[in-house]
Amino acid sequence: MQSVKNKTNRSPEASAFYTAGLILLGIVVVSFIVSLFWTPYEPDATNAASKLLAPCLEHPFGTDNLGRDVLSRVMSASKYTIFISAAGVAIALILGTVAGIPAGYFGGITDRGIMLLGNSIMCFPGILLALVAVAVFGPSVTNVIWALGLVFAPTFARVCRVGTMEIKELDYITHARVMGVKPVRIMTFHIFPNLVGQLLPATVIGLANMTLFESGMSYLGLGVQPPDASFGKMLSEAQAYVRVAPWLVIFPALMLIFYILGLYFISEGLRVNLSKGGK
Amino acid sequence: MPRHIHIVKVHHLTLSFPTRKDPNPKPILDDVDFGIRDGEILGLIGNSGCGKTMTSLAIAGLLPEAASITSGSIKFAGENLLEMKPKARRAMLGKDIGMIFQEPSTALDPLMTCGKQLEEVLTAHKDNQLTPEQRHKTITEMLETVGFTNAEEICGRYPHQLSGGQRQRVLIAGAALLKPRLLICDEPTSSLDTVTTVSILALLKDLCHKLHMTILFISHDLSAVRGFCDRVMVMKDGKIIDKDTASEILSHPKNTYTAELLTNARLDTRILGLEPANADYSKSPVLTAKDITAGYGRSLFERGSKKSGDNNILHDVSLEVFPNEILGLIGGSGSGKTTLIRSLLGLLPHSGTVNIKSTSVGAIFQDPVSCLNPAHTIRWHMEEALRASGKAKTINGTGSRSERKARTLARIIAVLEECGLGEKYLSRHPKELSGGQRQRVAIAMCLIQEPALIIADEPFSSLDASSSAELLKLMTDINRELGTAFLLITHNIHIVRQICPRVLVMDHGKICEEGITTEVLTAPKSECASALLEAERKIHGI
Repeated sequence: MQSVKNKTNRSPEASAFYTAGLILLGIVVVSFIVSLFWTPYEPDATNAASKLLAPCLEHPFGTDNLGRDVLSRVMSASKYTIFISAAGVAIALILGTVAGIPAGYFGGITDRGIMLLGNSIMCFPGILLALVAVAVFGPSVTNVIWALGLVFAPTFARVCRVGTMEIKELDYITHARVMGVKPVRIMTFHIFPNLVGQLLPATVIGLANMTLFESGMSYLGLGVQPPDASFGKMLSEAQAYVRVAPWLVIFPALMLIFYILGLYFISEGLRVNLSKGGK
Repeated sequence: MPRHIHIVKVHHLTLSFPTRKDPNPKPILDDVDFGIRDGEILGLIGNSGCGKTMTSLAIAGLLPEAASITSGSIKFAGENLLEMKPKARRAMLGKDIGMIFQEPSTALDPLMTCGKQLEEVLTAHKDNQLTPEQRHKTITEMLETVGFTNAEEICGRYPHQLSGGQRQRVLIAGAALLKPRLLICDEPTSSLDTVTTVSILALLKDLCHKLHMTILFISHDLSAVRGFCDRVMVMKDGKIIDKDTASEILSHPKNTYTAELLTNARLDTRILGLEPANADYSKSPVLTAKDITAGYGRSLFERGSKKSGDNNILHDVSLEVFPNEILGLIGGSGSGKTTLIRSLLGLLPHSGTVNIKSTSVGAIFQDPVSCLNPAHTIRWHMEEALRASGKAKTINGTGSRSERKARTLARIIAVLEECGLGEKYLSRHPKELSGGQRQRVAIAMCLIQEPALIIADEPFSSLDASSSAELLKLMTDINRELGTAFLLITHNIHIVRQICPRVLVMDHGKICEEGITTEVLTAPKSECASALLEAERKIHGI
């Protein structure tokens, strides 16, 4: 969670964004890593004797209506949030790149076909599409990941397509074609490395957006299934107790905010850095 | 001694780009001290990266954020520019100081008509005192002044409907609209062909007298400076090392560096040691192209119907390149040179036949910035070229993996050294190289494929005189020692005269003249060839 050392000539503005982003993100990531080995209590263990306890020394974040320790649940919930958003973005990134680069490179009918598919996905409200997919295939973590990956793929495909269209006009691509390099090799080794700069901020923003989607779906009961914890699920369960036990809402919400804000800060830092340092 | 009134006085200016790592770097401008006299045309010449553009940006107040002026002052008509408030300085820009940039293709907004863009110049500065009709009148008058006979029509056109020379004229009109006292021209002609260059220079000189403007003319084209400037300053490594009247400095240079620049610009074959091989016309040609017809701009829907007009840029072009030959191809902008080589390289669908007697043709392009992939090292580039040629196996032979790797590396280093680059360049990225070095890498990538023919599309036009001289020497060396044939496309007739035994002249998508260089260039038969020669004669003041 330490801020990245200034190896390059980074602007102070970007450094501030990176530091803030990494600290916020670090809180969530550290709690995730710790939760893999140790949580103060068993996250799913109920205890009828200590229901709805306010934050105290034994339970720093309090307990919920079934007497489960909120700190332990928050820690284990971060696991799902990070896993689902990372896996979902990975799927979206792979699908998007594999579809977007050929679309931009070949143009014409390939482009039209791929973009028609992408645009049809994009013209539905994303969460609705994900909900339908989960409703059809059944609520499970794997299905949520696949659904979110599909919904987000067109965004990455567009970034790749536009970048490819710009790059393929440059002399070094023409040169590669003249040398007789095969199209697949041109796309993977000549074009893709040059797209990384554009894909990086999009990936970070994608992670944040995907987390929001996942929370929304869990909130509606279609994501992570009980007894496992996720931020959205915890918020939805806490709804009934908002007045008597506000800590049930505050702590998961804070973690969610830290995670998303941290990602946004980092992408903002990347943006500042790329726009200033690029040219 | 006549008393000169300096409109701009740059006093001991030092400028650098401090970074956090290095707060006191080597200055970009080092104690630059000069004045621009009222009404004169002052030339500023030097190789790329010597600080010409930074000087002009400092005067205009458009320096990049990271730049810091450590000492000195710039006075414009007695006022110290560096102490002025940013707002007052911005108001001066355009009104008192006008600027024209190098690249006319990107300096105009593609979504605005030319008239609208010129009108914006007026509304931004004159506080809307003029009525729209008056503004329109001022604009059309100015467009007529810069040489448009159809000013009304030009007003309604979009930039993409104009040629490079026309765009540069519109930009000049925009800069001259507010009648600035100083006009800074940053290489205004380097992306234009000879014919256009001559007309733009004549226009600038004319405007200078008519509107009583002072011009700071930045260029690496010494021949352009010759007939155009009153005084010339030579810059090297951020210092002004020589200044004198134009005729004096270009005919009797006192400074050794100036003399060297002049030699490079003159491209004297004997001094540079340019010795192309003797072409062998008895052998069968390495490249034969017959009746090539090609064009752009057919969308999916138009392709089916035949009735749409003739979109073809090339009409029945035929040519032959013989072994060991350097064939020159000249012609004005838009004559179809680039379309022709795109067809020859198989990048553009065309009718007609192209026969190449070798498995691979090399190609070098105009723009050294985009000729190499910024994501990879030079070593990767070379390996990629070798892999793509399919000759990797023959070079590697058999043996263990590490043996083959070592042999590949040895071959790559050998080729790089042939191109004047050593082993230390292997791990570098393209951004760490200069324009000339990048073009060398591009040539090395061609050479490793052992092509019989390299097609070079204006490889010199973005390079300064010294780099082009070196590149030209490299090309003739390769031609002589390896017997590689070249098809050289260029604006520069002078280069063609020096190294090409045979030349083709293109105009309107056709080859209008073809023959032995000395014959074509001394007694041209076609109109377009004589126009090109006339322009060249004017620019060199012969």
